[in-house]
Amino acid sequence: MTISIWRYSHLVLALSSGLFLILAALTGVILAFEPLQSAIKPYHPVDLKEVSLAETIGVLQNQYDEVLTLKVDQDDFIIADIVTKQGDSKQVYVHPLTGEALGEPEEQHPIFKFSTNLHRSLFLKSIGRFFVGLISFLLCLIAFTGLLLIIKRQGGLAKLFSKVQKDYFELRYHVILGRWFLFPIILIAATGTYLSAEKFSLLPIALVTHTMAEPEVDVDERVKPSELAIFKTIKMADVRTVNFPFSPFPEDYFEVSLRKKELYVHQYTGDILSELPYPFTFLASKMSFRLHTGQGSILWSLVLLLASCSILFFIYSGFMMWRNRIKNSITKVEFTKDESTHIILYGSETGNTNGFVLALQKALIKNGKRVFIAPMNTYSTYKQAEKLFVLTSTYGEGEAPTNARRFLEKLHTINQPNKINYAVIGFGSLNYPKYCQFAKDVSHALKNHPSFNETTALTEINNQSHDAFINWVNQWNSKVGEELKVSSYLPKNKTGKQLEFEVSYHSEINTDNTFLIQLKPKKKIKFNSGDLLAYRPNNDDVPRFYSIAKCGNQILLSIKIHDFGICSRLFSRLNAGDTIEASIQKNTHFNFPAQAKSILCISNGTGIAPFLGLIDENKNKIPIQLFWGSRTKASYTIYKPFLMEPLTNGKLQKIHLAYSRESEKQYVQDLLLQQEEFIATALKNGTVIMICGSLAMQHKVLQVLEKATQTYLNESLATFEENEQLKTDCY
Amino acid sequence: MKKIFVLTLLLVSAISLVAFNQAPETLNYKCMIQLTNYEGEGAYFVVSVIDKEDNYIETLYVQGDDAEWYRDLSAWWKNLYGIKRPTLDGIVGETVTGGQRKMTILKIPTDKIDTGYKLRFESAVEDHEYYVDDVEFDLTTANLASKKEGKGYIRYIRMIQQ
Repeated sequence: MTISIWRYSHLVLALSSGLFLILAALTGVILAFEPLQSAIKPYHPVDLKEVSLAETIGVLQNQYDEVLTLKVDQDDFIIADIVTKQGDSKQVYVHPLTGEALGEPEEQHPIFKFSTNLHRSLFLKSIGRFFVGLISFLLCLIAFTGLLLIIKRQGGLAKLFSKVQKDYFELRYHVILGRWFLFPIILIAATGTYLSAEKFSLLPIALVTHTMAEPEVDVDERVKPSELAIFKTIKMADVRTVNFPFSPFPEDYFEVSLRKKELYVHQYTGDILSELPYPFTFLASKMSFRLHTGQGSILWSLVLLLASCSILFFIYSGFMMWRNRIKNSITKVEFTKDESTHIILYGSETGNTNGFVLALQKALIKNGKRVFIAPMNTYSTYKQAEKLFVLTSTYGEGEAPTNARRFLEKLHTINQPNKINYAVIGFGSLNYPKYCQFAKDVSHALKNHPSFNETTALTEINNQSHDAFINWVNQWNSKVGEELKVSSYLPKNKTGKQLEFEVSYHSEINTDNTFLIQLKPKKKIKFNSGDLLAYRPNNDDVPRFYSIAKCGNQILLSIKIHDFGICSRLFSRLNAGDTIEASIQKNTHFNFPAQAKSILCISNGTGIAPFLGLIDENKNKIPIQLFWGSRTKASYTIYKPFLMEPLTNGKLQKIHLAYSRESEKQYVQDLLLQQEEFIATALKNGTVIMICGSLAMQHKVLQVLEKATQTYLNESLATFEENEQLKTDCY
Repeated sequence: MKKIFVLTLLLVSAISLVAFNQAPETLNYKCMIQLTNYEGEGAYFVVSVIDKEDNYIETLYVQGDDAEWYRDLSAWWKNLYGIKRPTLDGIVGETVTGGQRKMTILKIPTDKIDTGYKLRFESAVEDHEYYVDDVEFDLTTANLASKKEGKGYIRYIRMIQQ
């Protein structure tokens, strides 16, 4: 399986350093608390920008017998080495204006000491330090390749923060959290690497070497340091350390280290004997240390804490993704390309479509076909090929997945010995404007190619729908007279816990074969309108999903009876009091949008169901308008009882109905077309539009909406979609 | 009555004797250690009183608070710290790096001055050489008032009585 060099590097780097990164991240989480704990100590009574060095030196020399050094630490606490009037030498935190001792420095807590050691050197001294440095360098590379992959995946740097494609939990959050935490992680890794590199003299040294003027000795020795003009101009906030003169002889001087420079100052005249700016490496090193440890900033320590936690999550989710890809990777090649009659070519970036590829392969082999299976990039001549299947997803902005990138180019340069019958199946998510774009391109190219004949038209599969895939297989079967059965080979969908429900209401069956059914959970459970009820008639079957309306604490479903629908017919035969088992699947993106100021609900047929619940949940009575399309007026009767009360109590503002077979013979999109301007203005004002129903309707509705925003707002609909103002749940 | 007085007197002298034995009298010396412009990590060093046979009598000051590196000060470690683990409360300071200076107060026991003992500064830097007698001199009043050059990371030390 071809994967791009970046993904490969990302994986190899992560696998090689994973265990150590776990260790570093865990200790990092612990260590993030250290600056938090120290910053809250009460040793910072006044703003050091308001205090001059002269004032502090003055009060300290009054208060104590002798002052050796003073130091302003990362929390703006002043620590002084002093000798008390009783002759005890001590290190104390002092008040900058009174000189009073505020407390004594405590030893680092054993937990922090242990964690620091483990984090910095794995208890292996220099070797450990080198190793940790190397690991943090690898982390830099991992984060960097990760950033490139996310940018690629999202379709460019500008779209980095646009909506993330639907996928399984680990993959989705690897991306969502990745784009937030990559920057702090890169910073942590880079500063960590810098600090290690420094330890191994890999960087220019940061020493400052003074060449000093001889201090003048013929001076008035009664002048006190607190009277020196230079100390009056220096603010304590600017001070790193002060070394006091060793003796009262004028040869001895003050060593003053400020934020950006180091000064030697004559103790009686205040003359500057030497002044050197700190080199860049010194400042970079101090900066790295602060950024890496979070010392001195509660906010940054919190960011570091979260980033360390996120690293642990990335390791977990990355590992799961890797396992998933291995599990899904296709390696079984039973026949060579020239022996095979059936060729399956696949294009996939994440390996998610591989379940379908394998199912198709197994079904073909079961029916005695010689099958060859390969990534699209390996496209070549196939001597005995009769049938070609192309299964591909689309990457980023309608581009080819990495392992399919060269397909179109090869298609035009390679000549097939035989005519081949082809079918193209595209995988994607309707939430993206470039839905199945690459599959469309491939289909188009094959259609215009003299060596290929179309069997089934391009099939687009939304969100990995098994039903849609099975439908295609059936279609293909009838076209070519085969009897492929793929359903048992498809990867099992995970279903939630099975719960028991009692049927509490069952409406009559409508003229268009739809009915409402209300289910009462036997145990108390949590769910929302827009979540899905997953029902499996048999344990091995692929579940059928129904959109839930939450009315009170009960589930209301709207179901259309299909002639061959096992589930729908089964539900239609249920009576009040019967018990069924099903599970509930969260579908949070289609729940009540908590932030919305108003909502437009657009649906047709049974797609009205989640909105019945959504309207019922509208406790704050924000304006909700419902657009609904069906064939006949009679179809409306079963829903009417659920909408009359909301219309009078303010939970529902207005209903717009369209009937395609009666009166004006309108579709729901026609209703929207009449109100284009209203809809555009509403979108501009933050209204959320929710669409539920058939995919065909969704397509038409999106076209109308796109036109409306283009005409009246001069904006693409995508802008609102990225703003989470457009939510769809169609089938 | 007399008896009580005598008893009290004995008791008081006994107590003061014990007290005197427990905390021998010390003199405060301010000590400045100036390091050379070496490259590398902060220097670890330890200041000890030793006798003529180089036996470690007392540790006056330790620079460096990460015990992980104490083993590098090998003579001190082998002869004292590694075996007895004396408490270092109040005599541990932060390291300084090349070119910097450190000031501290050394409490030197008066009975060791001018009585044949020596003062030793031994030093080590992570992954660099170790100097067992970076600075070492006889513990005499005259020496304590002068400037002493070092052989290793210490350029010189100066001491002054407080």
